[in-house]
Amino acid sequence: MPLLELQQLKKYFASQKAVDDISLTVEKGQIFGLLGPNGAGKTTLIRMITGIFYPDEGQIIFDGKKFDPVNDVGQIGYMPEERGLYKKMKIGEQTMYLAQLKGLSRSDAQARIKEWFVKFEMESWWNKKVEDLSKGMSQKLQFVTTILHQPKLVILDEPFSGLDPVNSNLIKDEIFKLAQNGATIIFSTHRMEQVEEICNHIVLVNKGKKILDGTVSQVKQEFKENLFRIGSTEVIPALNGNAPFEILNTGKADAIVRIQEGKTPNDVLQYLISQNVAIHSFQEILPTLNDIFIRLVESSPAARQFQSI
Amino acid sequence: MRKTILIIKREYMTRVRKKTFIIGTLLFPILYLLLIFGTGYIAEKSRQQLKIAVLDSSGFFTSQKINLQNQADQSSIMDLVKTTAGKSYDYDASGYDAMLIIPAMKWDTAAPNNLVLKANKSYGAAVESAVQTKVNRIWDEVKNENLGIDAGKREILALNRIQVKAVNENDEKMDAGLSSGIGMACGFLIYFIILIYGSQVMMGVMEEKTNRIAEIIVSSVKPFQMMLGKIIGIGLVALTQFLLWIAFVFVIYNVTANLTGSGGGGAANQIVGSIQTIFTSVNLPLTLFCFAFYFLGGFFFYASIYGAIGSAINEDVREAQSLSFPVTMLVIISIVLMTTAVNDPTGPIAVWGSIIPLSSPIVMMARIPYGVPGTVPVWQLALSMGLLIAGFIFTTWFAAKIYRTGILMYGKKTSWKEMLRWAFRRN
Repeated sequence: MPLLELQQLKKYFASQKAVDDISLTVEKGQIFGLLGPNGAGKTTLIRMITGIFYPDEGQIIFDGKKFDPVNDVGQIGYMPEERGLYKKMKIGEQTMYLAQLKGLSRSDAQARIKEWFVKFEMESWWNKKVEDLSKGMSQKLQFVTTILHQPKLVILDEPFSGLDPVNSNLIKDEIFKLAQNGATIIFSTHRMEQVEEICNHIVLVNKGKKILDGTVSQVKQEFKENLFRIGSTEVIPALNGNAPFEILNTGKADAIVRIQEGKTPNDVLQYLISQNVAIHSFQEILPTLNDIFIRLVESSPAARQFQSI
Repeated sequence: MRKTILIIKREYMTRVRKKTFIIGTLLFPILYLLLIFGTGYIAEKSRQQLKIAVLDSSGFFTSQKINLQNQADQSSIMDLVKTTAGKSYDYDASGYDAMLIIPAMKWDTAAPNNLVLKANKSYGAAVESAVQTKVNRIWDEVKNENLGIDAGKREILALNRIQVKAVNENDEKMDAGLSSGIGMACGFLIYFIILIYGSQVMMGVMEEKTNRIAEIIVSSVKPFQMMLGKIIGIGLVALTQFLLWIAFVFVIYNVTANLTGSGGGGAANQIVGSIQTIFTSVNLPLTLFCFAFYFLGGFFFYASIYGAIGSAINEDVREAQSLSFPVTMLVIISIVLMTTAVNDPTGPIAVWGSIIPLSSPIVMMARIPYGVPGTVPVWQLALSMGLLIAGFIFTTWFAAKIYRTGILMYGKKTSWKEMLRWAFRRN
């Protein structure tokens, strides 16, 4: 059973169709990548899932039932892209406050905060104020406040921005652990290499519409261009009319080729063997998510235009 | 509900524990006392005894009469001086600060309008009038003597003073002077509370918005709960401060009451005396109840509007000023109406000003000390309270709609027109 189902969700603002008929499904335990250029409607979509906005049309099904913001927000942890904490409030008190707002009892909140502070080596922070923390430190604190109440659904908007590689890995590991323990994670970012590394499933939105939906490998297969890298010390002789591929690029020890429609890699190998070319390696080149992202979004203007509704 | 209480608790605790709150709460009464005792003390210290030489050409100002008045009023000592002095009188050498020149005149005709008090430096109006009173007493004495009015007859003359006092038939113990004083004080207190704590609500909302914590909080609670929690929390801070001050007044009252027994300052005596009169001559429970009601009602009415404004602004303090200006103007107009109402508590301005919720918290408090139902009929009080409750429910609802949109809206400069659109948009 999926944890979250969005059905034909719409949210129009005065001058923009921020979310225009988006449906998607997030399975339990998934790390789900929500991608899109700036202003695509990601934040609006997330705000509807977190109960901050009501959709104009459409339905949200959360954990098998119609989404009820008042009671279900306790099951959701949300870390917005723009981090926010009370600067003048002591860290221990602040974390207690945010945890209690999510419905934890005082004693539960205290026990869990202690546990996380030990895990992240933050014990000495309890009586400090947020304004004393560096950007990376407050990022860690923000992450802790997001997941403290053990939400079923964790929504992280650019969770790694401003973190050094050590702390990035620390948080990345925690994200994997959360998913292993059954939490579902929606991960919103522009950093495609992180998406490839972390996400099982991705959705790409642009101009308020969903333009791509699938697992990372599915998407890559869908957008592959039948490119292969052939490693060979010899130069491939000039192609005759029967060659099932064309050469795009020749390097010192390899060549990149594109297989023609209807031909298979085996056809290529057979042809090369018949031409007596010594092959060291033969490898398919799949597009990176970055390439796919750019290709899909490039055609639209970089800045979203205002439109009349 | 539990979450709203959590928010109230946070808003309250963070503010009450702040140094500025503690210092402000302690300092205000101390400064107030210093002001009262300090000015009294300084006035006492700086009072100097003026020595005045009297040059009498009329022959009425005998040293016996002058000495009698010197004993009665020691602010100046007059001396009858025989020597005639020229224009360049040496004040330092003679030891006199000033010289009063009395020309030749008759007792039964009008005395010359201006007697001249010569000195080599300027003295204020207070000195002038003190000397004038003294001279006139002596002059009265001269006339009495010549008319043959003895001490007994003088007493009868003094008995003849008639005073006029306004009495409201419905409420006889009412005292116009005292009532207007209490009304004024209550009105100003509510005025300060609305402005000071209203702007605290505004700045608090603005802080949450610019800190970006707003988005995290609204993913846990409804924006309405968030706004209400803040307003109630800050309202309780205002109430706490106010109650502490009342407690201070009682402490000071008791301390000074003991002091005056052992001959404390005259200023303290006066204050204690006036507090006592207030307690005995005004319907205290009713006035206190109404004060608490209008204090909270007025605060909620305006604080929610200030909260809505806070949600609409981005970091820019000037924006806050220009958006809150019309609201602040309304509060200031209320004070202007109140000053009229204090002098004419049954006039149309007072009546309407105390019924319309925009100004009723301040204007009604100016009328209540005059007496209910004597000056303020029960129906007016009931209507005013009902409208104020309806009014703050409306402003809270209205503000919540603006707040919901504004708190997550960044970058754009907002106008009142825009805010009204948010408020009246459906859904």
